[in-house]
Amino acid sequence: MRRSLLTPYLMAGPAVVLLVAFGVFPVLVAAVVSLTDMNISGLADFSRVNFVGGANYAALVEDPDFWKAIANTGLFVVVGVPAVVVLSLSVALLLHRSDGRLARGLRSFYFVPAVTGIVAISLVWGYLYNTQFGLFNYLLSLVGLEQVQWLSDPTLAKFSVALVAIWRGTGLNIIIFLAALQGIPDEYLEAAQLDGAGEWRITRSIVIPLLGFAIFFVTVTTLIGWLQFFDEPFVLTDGGPLGATTSMSVFLYKEGFRLNQFGYSSAGSIVLFAVIALVTLAQLKLRGTDADR
Amino acid sequence: MRRLAKPALSIIATCALALACTACSADGDDAPGQDPVTVWIMGDSGANFARLVEPFTSQTGVEVEVVAIPWDGIDERLTTAVASDAGPDLVQIGLSKLRMFADAGALLPLDDEIVGHPGLAPANFADGVAGAATAVDGQIVSVPWISDTRVLFYRSDILSQNGIADPPTTWSELRDQAQTLAGRGSGQYGYYIPQWDSALPVLMTWSNGGDIVDPQGQVDFDTPAFARTVETYAGLYADGSVPTNSDFDQTQGFISGIAPLLISGPYLAKSINDAAPELAGQWSVATVPQGSGSATSVFAGSNMGVWHSTDQKQAALDLLEFLSRPATQLEWYSINGELPTAKAALSDSALTGDPLVRVYSAQLEDARVLPMVPNWDGGVGQDLLTALNSIVLQGADPDRTLADLYARTGSVSAR
Repeated sequence: MRRSLLTPYLMAGPAVVLLVAFGVFPVLVAAVVSLTDMNISGLADFSRVNFVGGANYAALVEDPDFWKAIANTGLFVVVGVPAVVVLSLSVALLLHRSDGRLARGLRSFYFVPAVTGIVAISLVWGYLYNTQFGLFNYLLSLVGLEQVQWLSDPTLAKFSVALVAIWRGTGLNIIIFLAALQGIPDEYLEAAQLDGAGEWRITRSIVIPLLGFAIFFVTVTTLIGWLQFFDEPFVLTDGGPLGATTSMSVFLYKEGFRLNQFGYSSAGSIVLFAVIALVTLAQLKLRGTDADR
Repeated sequence: MRRLAKPALSIIATCALALACTACSADGDDAPGQDPVTVWIMGDSGANFARLVEPFTSQTGVEVEVVAIPWDGIDERLTTAVASDAGPDLVQIGLSKLRMFADAGALLPLDDEIVGHPGLAPANFADGVAGAATAVDGQIVSVPWISDTRVLFYRSDILSQNGIADPPTTWSELRDQAQTLAGRGSGQYGYYIPQWDSALPVLMTWSNGGDIVDPQGQVDFDTPAFARTVETYAGLYADGSVPTNSDFDQTQGFISGIAPLLISGPYLAKSINDAAPELAGQWSVATVPQGSGSATSVFAGSNMGVWHSTDQKQAALDLLEFLSRPATQLEWYSINGELPTAKAALSDSALTGDPLVRVYSAQLEDARVLPMVPNWDGGVGQDLLTALNSIVLQGADPDRTLADLYARTGSVSAR
């Protein structure tokens, strides 16, 4: 009896220990640090660290760069999440229609960006986007169009950076959707066909509703990914031009590791953490009512 | 349960193995003789550095362990090293990071040590970087290692094709020539301003006879010399003489002739020679233009510091003295191409035989280090670039933007 009571805890134990050590504990440390004026000299000698209460949070609210980073992140989410979900779902639906050699080849093709190193990606895209020597502007010049400043125009740079992330983000999600598509029993599709439903009607009324959980999963993970958007702006533009592509994460990185304002940066990361937690909770809540229906 | 046993066993076995390995490497450290001196070298020149210090090891028997740190990774490495107190014994520090290292308490004050090591005396090194020039809070925490500066690169072929006999010697000449060269056609420019280069506006201010630090040691941009700098800087953009995109490639721009004038460091000469050896003879370098004052450039480069908690102080200082010898620094120039800081090495015929290096040496004699503010790259330098770039690229109101810059940076002290 006793052993059977302990068993579940033993089984879950290692995972919980890891989660606490590498998930919960760092968040708690960041929460404590966010109430101090910790910087690099404080790191060397803890006696130089002072408790400052909510001053870091008050300074965040006052910081125009912080609001700019929030606005940029908001735009990235609004552009990126629907684009990634719709694009990868569409590609998966198309790929699922055939099992020929071409479709199988394409599957790996779409997955390549997801497994390519971000530095290699940024180098290649950096050359594609380059104003004087890039491929895109060369193609434009062939049809007699003006040079476009893909990464230097503050508005366009946001979309250029987002495009790379969308391109890179679809591969993994296509695989998830393809797996979910294979899980749909053929009986449903056959029954619908017998009822006289056309291709489009089957997709809309049978396939997509049955993909509900996969779509939910992809949306949640993609949303979290875009809220933490970092790699592409960091390597392609370093948050520039003039902060136009500085996302929350890039802002936090710069404050933390370039300016060594660990307290201030921690306060920002707690805010980002709260935003992500709230958004994810809201999604779970919505999903819950959806399932009850 | 039995299905779990196997993976569990293998995990335990792996852990045991890992522990055993740590144990055996710890045993290795206890071997007779002295522990090695660990040196952090910036960039990818670690292998060359290991070669450089071979004579030191054979003379003293002290092993040197070289760790190459990528330039991009230095902030993180410093943070973790300070936090865990697991630093090297000797560390190369880019001059713009010196104050940050010193503020973090990472560097051993060297004033007392220099007495016992005459090779480290400030008088041995170029004045722009020696002693007080790089002291933090009045304490010497580092010894000059390699030097770097900015000079004017020019395409003599393109200049003469456009009726320009000599490269510009003043900023107003440069502005005129750049305008002429930009008139060659659409997509052609006269000069290139790197949008990430915070040293350029500073050296322009120096060349106008001013400074960005007031006599009390506070950062101060609200000066007539800086106002003239803004005028030149913004004027080059207003003339259409410089590219406005941030991803302009200066090496390609110079080789293709799109930007036949630009100010850069000696590393650009190497890039040009590698990428376009056929251009030899059609380009050269000159000292930077002067404003209303002198033709002053920036003294960049790296110093070497001793880690504050090293248990190898004596060996680290001996190695530092070895590295400060003119002969060692000349050897380093020949294997790694980085310019020395020792006066005797800078005037050695091995260097002055090269016409490019003659210009670098001349420029180093009129060069100053950037002010020792707590964080130049991320702080004052960044604020300076943001202000200038938003004026010239986005048409921000100059008076308001500059007032904002004065307010942001006015409280920063440069000790």
